[in-house]
Amino acid sequence: MTVEASRNSQASDFLEGRAKKRRSIAITAPEGVTLFFNLADAGERATAFAIDFAVWIIATILFYLVLFFVVFGALKLKSQIGLTIALSIMLFLGFAIRNFYFIHFELAWQGSTPGKRAVGIRVVDRKGGALTPMAIVARNLTREVEIFIPLGVLMSLGHGNGTVENLALTAWVLLFSALPLFNRLRMRGGDLIAGTVVIALPRKLLLADLADAQAQNTFSEKHLRAYGTFELQILEELLRRPNAPDAVELRREVTDKIVKKIGWPSPVADADTLRFLTDFYAAQRAHLEREQLYGKFRADKNAAVTTAR
Amino acid sequence: MTALDTTHLTGAGAKPLVLKSNQFRKAREETWRELEALVARAEKRGVLSLGPEELERLPVLYRSTMSSLSVARGIALDRNLLNYLEALTVRAYLVVYGPRVRQLNGVARFLTADLPQAVRQARWHILVAFLAMFGGIVAGFLLAHANEDWIGALVPGDLAGDRGPDSTADDLRKDEIYAPWPGLVASFALMANFLFSHNTLVGLMIFSLGVAAGVPGLLLLFYQGLGLGAFIALHYHRGLLVDFLGWLSVHGVTELSAITLFGAAGLVLAEKVLFPNRMTRLESLASQGKVAAQIAIGAMMMLFVAGILEGGFRQLVQPTAWRFAIGGVTAMLWLGYYTLAGRRG
Repeated sequence: MTVEASRNSQASDFLEGRAKKRRSIAITAPEGVTLFFNLADAGERATAFAIDFAVWIIATILFYLVLFFVVFGALKLKSQIGLTIALSIMLFLGFAIRNFYFIHFELAWQGSTPGKRAVGIRVVDRKGGALTPMAIVARNLTREVEIFIPLGVLMSLGHGNGTVENLALTAWVLLFSALPLFNRLRMRGGDLIAGTVVIALPRKLLLADLADAQAQNTFSEKHLRAYGTFELQILEELLRRPNAPDAVELRREVTDKIVKKIGWPSPVADADTLRFLTDFYAAQRAHLEREQLYGKFRADKNAAVTTAR
Repeated sequence: MTALDTTHLTGAGAKPLVLKSNQFRKAREETWRELEALVARAEKRGVLSLGPEELERLPVLYRSTMSSLSVARGIALDRNLLNYLEALTVRAYLVVYGPRVRQLNGVARFLTADLPQAVRQARWHILVAFLAMFGGIVAGFLLAHANEDWIGALVPGDLAGDRGPDSTADDLRKDEIYAPWPGLVASFALMANFLFSHNTLVGLMIFSLGVAAGVPGLLLLFYQGLGLGAFIALHYHRGLLVDFLGWLSVHGVTELSAITLFGAAGLVLAEKVLFPNRMTRLESLASQGKVAAQIAIGAMMMLFVAGILEGGFRQLVQPTAWRFAIGGVTAMLWLGYYTLAGRRG
């Protein structure tokens, strides 16, 4: 693909709005408003788990080191007994940390763990109710079987002999842990049992309103008939982009398209594209919002106006 | 805030545009910012980190922002504003309607009411799970009774130890049933730990496989029974049946009950997958998943007790009669707890 072609397709992608859409579940709050919980995708889940896994391993090693020095330091004379005690405490702590790390954090941090918090995802009840302690325990009980055993099997594959049984075992445990990829809500076995889902909660900043600026270009009703809500919001995204060279270029292209489409009488100079687009955005939004108040909603440029919603 | 430079846009002559959504935002923005700050702190340090006045303010701000969202959905086409309000209300919703149970209260309620109630609710599942394991015991006994070579095939090597067709009655007496007590530290700590975590792993597998319609779980239960049955046959052939059963009953009563409970918890899940009734399978599973998890947690605690009994007391108490007594008492205690606790309130 040439540079020119790729730039063109970028511009048209932009206007056609190939924005990434997240899957979501709708929950009706007691206030009667429908809220949308956006599901975390597989990549976010995997990243969060990798971080938690690293934290868990470091915590376990630190525990072991401390124990090793404390117990051996204290019981140097009877080192046989010291070793036994240290070994048993290590075994138990290893088991406890592995099994209670997730339960503890999800209880204390309301469905979040260090890894989940870093990625910006958390566990919630699928129906929108309170996340009960039992649900957290339930979703983590199966973790051993879903994640740690498959991990162990995978690690032992390297120096095991690739017999048919080994391959079958690997396929079976991987199938179990790949469950989130096979359902719409990205639930693993523990989520199925506990009635939970993992959602993404990215922080959104409230930016300045683009329609705040004083307009210099005045558009008539005739000019504003060309586009609908969808194009308006794509334009908003373009205007909110930082002033990088590619954004400037994109604005030039978009300006030309709009000028041609609405039949704007005078050509727009390179330096004026931002002002023109901002003015057009404000005027277009004012127009569409006014129409919407009168019950005339227009989804995009191809759609007919719907009067009853 | 914005990356957009708008200073050059101030010019004279143009008619000012009046946008309803713009005015709406100016009137409400302060409320949203205040809510955002409170929610961010509650997310970071918990709801209880908010002061009393802030706690009072939170639901007011939340409701007001909720109504802002409804209005904005109706009148505003500013996507950044809409996305911001959608995200903020979801975060606030989770803080306002988050769980309020203190962890220790939860534990007490679980032990005195939730757990025994959950177990009573699953009595038929317990029966089926027990039958699966009992069937395994009978089959294992019959197989090993006919040919002791089966023992090697039915019991994994690391669990069998040195016990097998080659063991004489004397070996079994000396190294297993009446083996000397290895001392406080070694017995309590190391053995109890190892046995506890091994059994828990098996138990969790039996439980988790309940999601797969219960068949793998039942097979695992049957398999656990097979090994036990084979061992019973071995001791029967050496004339040690009563001594062996006494030795086994010290921890076995607790341990086998726990494994049965894991199986029953798995079957609760399996039933909901197989017979969802009027709900969808997912809803049906989630409706009983917490009950199943409660049973599994109870079973884990029993395994912990069994680990202590096995690692510590089993070799400490040598007379077979006393061993049967311990087994009997534990059986009564578990039965009493699960049938009687949490009946009222």
